[in-house]
Amino acid sequence: MEIPFDIGNISGPENARVAQPEALGRAIKNAKRPLLVVGSEILDDDLIEKAIAIGKKGIPIAATAHSMKGFVDRGYTENVHLTGLHELANNIESRDWMGFDKTGGYDLIAVLGGIYYSTSQFLIALKNFATDPIVRCISIDRYYHPAARMSSVNISRKHTDEFKKMLDKVIENI
Amino acid sequence: MPPSNIEIEALKNVVINIGGIEEEEEEWETMGPTPMPGIADLRNWDYKLLKRYKPFYAPYCEMCCFCTFGKCDLTGGKKGACGLGMAAQQARFVTIACLMGCSAHTAHGRHLLRKVLKIVGDREINMGTGINIEAPLTRLITGIKPEKLSDFIPVLEYLEEQIAQLLDSTHTGQEGSNLDYESKAYHAGMLDSLGKEVADLIQIVAFDLPKGDPDAPLVEIGMGCVDESKPVILVIGHNVVPSVAVMDYMSDHGLDERIEVAGICCTAIDTTRYSQKAKIVGSIGRQLRFVRSGVADVIMVDEQCIRADILEQAKRIHAPLIATNDKALYGLVDRTNDSVDDIVAILASGKEPGVVILDPVKAGEVAVRVVQITHEKRKELVNILTDEEFKEYVTMCQNCDANCIVACPQGLPIGEANKAAAKGDTAPLASLFDPCVGCGRCEQVCKKHIPIVDVILKASLPYVKSEKGMIRVGRGPVRDTEIRKVGAPLVLGTIPGIIAIVGCGNYPNGTKDVYRIAKEFAERKYIVVLTGCGAMDAALYRDKDGKTLYEKYPGDFDGGCVLNIGSCVSNAHIHGAAIKVAAIYARRNIRGNYAEIADYILNRVGACGVAWGAMSQKAASIASGVNRIGIPVVIGPHGWKYRRAYLGRKYVDEDWVVYDARDGSKVQIEPAPEHMLVAADTYQEAIPLIARLCFRPTDNSMGRQVKLTHYMDLSMKYLGVYPDDWHIFVRGEADLPLARKEEYLRILKEEHGWDVDLEAKKILSGPVRKMDVGFDATNLEELIKKNK
Ligand code: SF4
Ligand code: SF4
Ligand code: SF4
Repeated sequence: MEIPFDIGNISGPENARVAQPEALGRAIKNAKRPLLVVGSEILDDDLIEKAIAIGKKGIPIAATAHSMKGFVDRGYTENVHLTGLHELANNIESRDWMGFDKTGGYDLIAVLGGIYYSTSQFLIALKNFATDPIVRCISIDRYYHPAARMSSVNISRKHTDEFKKMLDKVIENI
Repeated sequence: MPPSNIEIEALKNVVINIGGIEEEEEEWETMGPTPMPGIADLRNWDYKLLKRYKPFYAPYCEMCCFCTFGKCDLTGGKKGACGLGMAAQQARFVTIACLMGCSAHTAHGRHLLRKVLKIVGDREINMGTGINIEAPLTRLITGIKPEKLSDFIPVLEYLEEQIAQLLDSTHTGQEGSNLDYESKAYHAGMLDSLGKEVADLIQIVAFDLPKGDPDAPLVEIGMGCVDESKPVILVIGHNVVPSVAVMDYMSDHGLDERIEVAGICCTAIDTTRYSQKAKIVGSIGRQLRFVRSGVADVIMVDEQCIRADILEQAKRIHAPLIATNDKALYGLVDRTNDSVDDIVAILASGKEPGVVILDPVKAGEVAVRVVQITHEKRKELVNILTDEEFKEYVTMCQNCDANCIVACPQGLPIGEANKAAAKGDTAPLASLFDPCVGCGRCEQVCKKHIPIVDVILKASLPYVKSEKGMIRVGRGPVRDTEIRKVGAPLVLGTIPGIIAIVGCGNYPNGTKDVYRIAKEFAERKYIVVLTGCGAMDAALYRDKDGKTLYEKYPGDFDGGCVLNIGSCVSNAHIHGAAIKVAAIYARRNIRGNYAEIADYILNRVGACGVAWGAMSQKAASIASGVNRIGIPVVIGPHGWKYRRAYLGRKYVDEDWVVYDARDGSKVQIEPAPEHMLVAADTYQEAIPLIARLCFRPTDNSMGRQVKLTHYMDLSMKYLGVYPDDWHIFVRGEADLPLARKEEYLRILKEEHGWDVDLEAKKILSGPVRKMDVGFDATNLEELIKKNK
């Protein structure tokens, strides 16, 4: 069993299933309306390139914190939408929100590159309150996120190359 | 319902019954509808807020273990054995947190009053020539106009009764609605604001602290400002009375120049408001590190935000501990009734590692006498790691990343940094000093028993020694005379907002963020007010000319100024400033008139709180109190752990309808302010968000131009794009900043589909509403003129 990246972050009896990158990629692929939510940490270690690769597969990107600046700097803003994480969670939970493209909500949320503890709270909010219709959340981050439905494992910063390889496998399977 | 011993007749004289002595207050203002409101009296206002700013929950714990029916698993819509659901449990938890916070401030006020009535007697409340409205929150909430310190007794009785009523509501089998728990959390927040005002006014009056002085003196701040060659008394906490006694004893005995008094947290701020001989080490995040540095020869604590293991930490550096407040006794022997000579002998000999002294004057004398002895004894001690020890520890580190990093609330890469230090590069370790919040969780789990806090401290010593800033001492309230000057520009929007940086030091990435936020808004001529840890941390940095914010910007309550208002309890003066805008500029009656004034502030006063490092339950109650009075708050990412936010949904039109009080017509408005309580992850995200939350429906065109300019510029500067919602704040071409008018009109036409005549520079259709100079926005039916 994996431990949460912040060890005390055990909120209840249900914790995320650890999943292989292939399964995480397929979950994104099989979703009807997936959304990739990225945070400020994609500006480290060139992770933004992986986010752009996912965006190029047609997956819309919610750019939280100041990650938008990274996309602008790289000239990729095609399907990237500026938002705050709190605001986004509140919108996802709302039946009135029609998504960034104004055609409807999302059925799968994948998180990458957010601050661990705020992303964890984001996931736990959706787990408990984005239930009608249900929204599934997965983590493709370097952290195990127990509040997601499926999650990657903790991969330490000294193994960033491994983490990037893991992301490549996720991307291959989308 | 008013408490039973206080009888209030609306519109007549107030009769206050204190211990059998009946005093008649003169009629000074017509009494409003809700003097001393009970739990349900402001529910209508709360529900207005909660309809627009819906509570959003992110449970930190999905279970409840409050009673023996439990533990109950509340996930997936399940209810507990008592019938309580997840939303109500989250709201109940928030209510309890707010109650802890408001109890801390209220009990602080009660303690202060008891002590100062003994020390200085019952003084008249005279706030000087610039301040007539001496206690805006007390007048607003209780209907009382205090004239002397003992007039706060019925105010404290009201507070204590309401706290008991609210705490009762959190018992199993009481409230079942999350919205009503939110209303109760708001109530606790409002009580908190009142408790803070009482506490701060008592200390201002009793100890003659600055009364709204824009030129309050500057004092040194930082871990490097303490002169270690002198005996050092470290004071920690929030209740200044024992520290005042220290300063008095030193002054009476000619020891001012021979002993250093250094403080951490709000006691530090308040001690420097009393005497500029004291120095400020810094905010809560520096506590463990400064104690470990071994500089303190005596540690004296009062209440709140003290490490629970302070005795163990004090023993580690062989510094005696003096506990001065019955809320934090640490298992020490109570020696309040022993002679000073005996206590000094016990502490100097080390027979006991610390003592309790509940008489502040005695505690002050003991601290000053003991420190002169312990300083001599401690001279030979080496508390910071030697070079050899440091090298040994960093070399022992296996960079396992298994233990310390998952224990660290900041997720700091300690192992990597140790590894670099082992190879001779200490820069990565030193770079952890500021983002580290000084909690000590890491070193408890390291299998190699590396004292990680000490290792980081050692690597950071050059920085620590040079950490010297300047802070203007807490000036206290905003003067009525200042409000007269800024009332109109604030309400019209030409001063684009009041940015209130408050709260603790649990920052996502170190102290510099608050400096950056304050600087950005001061440069843009917002009014920047700071209190508590935020005020201290913003003082640590200098610009290229070597000036700190407090040296560079004036301390007036005006656009482009930076004000240290004071400690956490001084937060009340930020509410006070907003209330005074309603009272002085708009001539609204404030007495017992909470909902009307909150409605006024919500619709007209562009203020935004920023609790970037919010950590404590006090910060929870502070934010709830600020929100109830109509001011939004931005919190840092750790703030998600408070479980609840208040978020607006700008695309739900019905949430953004207000009345025009002139005729009762309903007006669709722009989402201003859009949220009440919202987190941002980084300062770059927070800055444009703060600017967005300063829009108000009543901005005039000039004001809206100014606010739009900053919102657009800041979004471009920090996020690289214009915000996607700026157009909804445009009511007509006159709202557009002149310098960019053509560009913006084109964007409105091309990207938002508005009907714009580019040649004539006219907007033909598109905005939510037109600008209306006489618009009298209100959310309250009772304020519609024909209903009055
Ligand atoms: S208070 Fe209610 S939800 Fe909590 S443990 Fe008791 S029965 Fe369960
Ligand atoms: S003391 Fe600093 S490095 Fe250690 S766990 Fe706390 S924040 Fe992290
Ligand atoms: S737990 Fe100890 S040994 Fe492991 S990385 Fe942290 S400091 Fe090094």
